[in-house]
Amino acid sequence: MATTTAAVTLTSDLLSDNMSVSASTTCMKAGTTADGLDQIEYGYVEVATGDEYDLIATTPTAAKASKLFVKNHSIDETYYIAITQNSQAIGRLYAGDWMFIPADFHDAAADIAITSNGGTNKVEYALFHEGTALTTT
Amino acid sequence: MATTTATLTISSTDLLSDELALSTTATLTSAGNSTGLTGTNGLARKTVAGGHAQYTLFAAASHTDDKAHKVYLKNMSTTAAEFFLISIHDVEVGRIYAGDWALIPWSADTTGDDADFKIDPSANDMTLEYMLFTDE
Repeated sequence: MATTTAAVTLTSDLLSDNMSVSASTTCMKAGTTADGLDQIEYGYVEVATGDEYDLIATTPTAAKASKLFVKNHSIDETYYIAITQNSQAIGRLYAGDWMFIPADFHDAAADIAITSNGGTNKVEYALFHEGTALTTT
Repeated sequence: MATTTATLTISSTDLLSDELALSTTATLTSAGNSTGLTGTNGLARKTVAGGHAQYTLFAAASHTDDKAHKVYLKNMSTTAAEFFLISIHDVEVGRIYAGDWALIPWSADTTGDDADFKIDPSANDMTLEYMLFTDE
């Protein structure tokens, strides 16, 4: 099986007690400790302002343990990408921000879409998953 | 100004023929400027005794919408099959299984239906660790 680990460290001086939170997980398939996520889509795109685009073109197997990493590589602090799913606003990634989220893809309308704001945003993404439904030709 | 950073490392030696070693750090700032995020609820844990049902973890109406809020989550369960289903309003974002964590941008949008941040544990007595960084 493939072994992929994802670790995060959050540090902050927002509180009087300086915070440092760390977590690490091995990205496993849904409901098992025996088999890791073994498929990946990894890319980098420039997205012009205006239209909304599906970030992931294929549909991963629904209701699994897929993980999606997205980073906005823009450097202008006013630029951001809006993340939506089935027209529901999820959140915004401003210049330099990243996210690592579970991705359910429970139906065809659950694609994760991005809209570029402020200017052309440069977006890195990686989807770790356990299968996609490829479109037949 | 407070400084909050989030560092991510993703690594694998056998997922691809080329070793994967992805690392990135973000300083969490307010929407559209370089001022650090100014609020947090602190690190918290909640055990959901009632099990499978949907609970609102954060209500959009309690926060300024369309900003740069971030939500950190970790499923503290050690039972592989147990997961929290994460939803924004009525849209299922995804599942975090035992030991999994996530860092999710949150709009707290109230333009249409409130983008409340919701969790649904798959079993009784599951514990979630969470923290909200706010941009108010």
